[in-house]
Amino acid sequence: MAANVDTTVARPAKAGRSLWADARRRLVRDKPAMVCLVIILVYAAVAIASPHLFPNWADSYDYDDINRAPSAAHPLGTDEFGRSVLQKTLLGATTSMTVGLMANVIAVPLGMVLGAIAGYYGGWLDDAIVWLYTTLASIPGIIRLIAIKFAFQDTVLFARTPFEMDLGRGMSGVYLALGVMSWVGTCRLVRAETMKTRELDYVLAARAVGTRGIVILFRHVIPNVLHIGIIQFSLGFVGAITAEVILSYLGLGVGAGVPSWGSMIDAARMDLVVGRWWEIASAVGAIFFIVLAMNLFGDRLRDALDPRLRTA
Amino acid sequence: MLIFVLRRLVQAVFTIFGVMLLTFLLFRVIAGDISARYVNQKLGQEARIAWLERHRMDLPMVVNPDAPWQVWRRDFWNTQFFWHLRESATFESRSFKTEQRLLDIIAQKARFSLSLTVPAMAMGWALALLIASLVAYFRGTWLDHVVTFVAVLGMCIPYLAYMIGVQWLMFQIRPTAAWGLRHHFNIYLPVAISVIAGVGASVRFYRTVILDETNRDYVRTALAKGVPLPGVLFKHVLRNCMLPILTSVVTAIPFLIMGSLLLEQFFGIPGLGPLLLSSISDRDIPIVTGLTFLTAALYTLLLLLTDILYAVFDPRIRLR
Repeated sequence: MAANVDTTVARPAKAGRSLWADARRRLVRDKPAMVCLVIILVYAAVAIASPHLFPNWADSYDYDDINRAPSAAHPLGTDEFGRSVLQKTLLGATTSMTVGLMANVIAVPLGMVLGAIAGYYGGWLDDAIVWLYTTLASIPGIIRLIAIKFAFQDTVLFARTPFEMDLGRGMSGVYLALGVMSWVGTCRLVRAETMKTRELDYVLAARAVGTRGIVILFRHVIPNVLHIGIIQFSLGFVGAITAEVILSYLGLGVGAGVPSWGSMIDAARMDLVVGRWWEIASAVGAIFFIVLAMNLFGDRLRDALDPRLRTA
Repeated sequence: MLIFVLRRLVQAVFTIFGVMLLTFLLFRVIAGDISARYVNQKLGQEARIAWLERHRMDLPMVVNPDAPWQVWRRDFWNTQFFWHLRESATFESRSFKTEQRLLDIIAQKARFSLSLTVPAMAMGWALALLIASLVAYFRGTWLDHVVTFVAVLGMCIPYLAYMIGVQWLMFQIRPTAAWGLRHHFNIYLPVAISVIAGVGASVRFYRTVILDETNRDYVRTALAKGVPLPGVLFKHVLRNCMLPILTSVVTAIPFLIMGSLLLEQFFGIPGLGPLLLSSISDRDIPIVTGLTFLTAALYTLLLLLTDILYAVFDPRIRLR
């Protein structure tokens, strides 16, 4: 059936490809990028599956088996309460991937909309948005995060509803803080790109036929700067994962009961000296591969989506 | 030129005001009344009110209802917001915990932070620039590929892992050097970690900057007229690359003051980083506010300074 389509449908000799089709083609041909994508998908699958596979991990204390080295029963050993480190590492993926995803689900659209508004309308709106992000950006990253976590330490959103969010101890506090604080880069890039796009002929044409500004912005301008958002998403993911690790290490991240790679490293920092290497090694290994895959994939994605930036 | 400088100056003032506003919102308005942590309930309400009064937390937030819009009256300025602005600018506020002045605390602790970060940053910068120039010179060869690959791998190892791993190595060699500041020797370890952990990302960034520059027309022209390659690279290219590289260095300077937060915390160096972290767990708001403002203000001022210097040295900048 599929073979027939090509012969029956008359196509122009050389069909133009959209940016997206072109980027997809480049990416699929790019073997390292595909390997990275597979690694990312595996991590995502683990993140989704592990809470269902090991629902009782948090209470699986076994005081006869604390701090055991890797063995057949526990492939990555056990922690200070006798719980499986392998399961802890897999459950940590859920924390990291959720934080990475949610932080960017908040940050990237926020940055894109603000950036596009600033770049398209200009004037006092532009000044206000630029002022907002220069202010935020002038506080160095980690201090910015610590500050907002600190301020919202005792805040619980939607208390006593199914959507309760404990910003002090829960995961939501971490990704909200990351999301609200990390849209600056996206905003800056989108604003610059929008200012260029605004001057193009098709925007002028849309304005000439009387399309309203807001419609031009969302229908014509934003789709043309969308690739920046996608690139920023993949790069922001790495930033969010690393930031979560550091916050958890400082005791400002997810609560003590939630398995996370950062708190694993924190718990194990004195262990290396007495020869217990497995907990820290699993956490570092888990972080290493996802960050590597995300970094490389982000770079390849940028090359595929933004041909002008392609490096020699 | 003057107009450019003035415009940037006004922008910087606005940014610093924004930071003051932000710290006020975060730490005064949202954080709320924290007197319960510092005044024992058994001392009674009188003690609590006295404490609030001493830290000027009994004043109205922004607008004084006694003098709503009468700018000329003293009462108008006597609110928490205006005191916050004043204390931010002068670092006069006092710690809730020790009642020390913030300025004294900073003066006392900053030297520990600086003794760690100044050598770390200078060495890291020099090393990264050296490696990046070498790699760019040998671009496309196996050396380039290997170094770039190692740099990417190095970027992917979490900072914490470097600290724990290198400390463990040091512990095997010389246990007393692994923690604290008992000997001068102990500073080498955190400095080394800071250099090693940061060099990967810098090499990659500098390499991109240098390669971008080598693809320019003037490089082709210089090569075509017979200037030897090292001459082109080190005389023309490197000089033009300094702009983005210097920006990246200058914008990292606030971290000098703050120290590498994690490193200081981990190695028990009594600098500003651990001070910030312990103030957070103690809810010592004046310290958190002051340190946040200090880094932000420094960042803004340094950025302003680099922008002005660029405009002085590179006339193309002013046109943007």
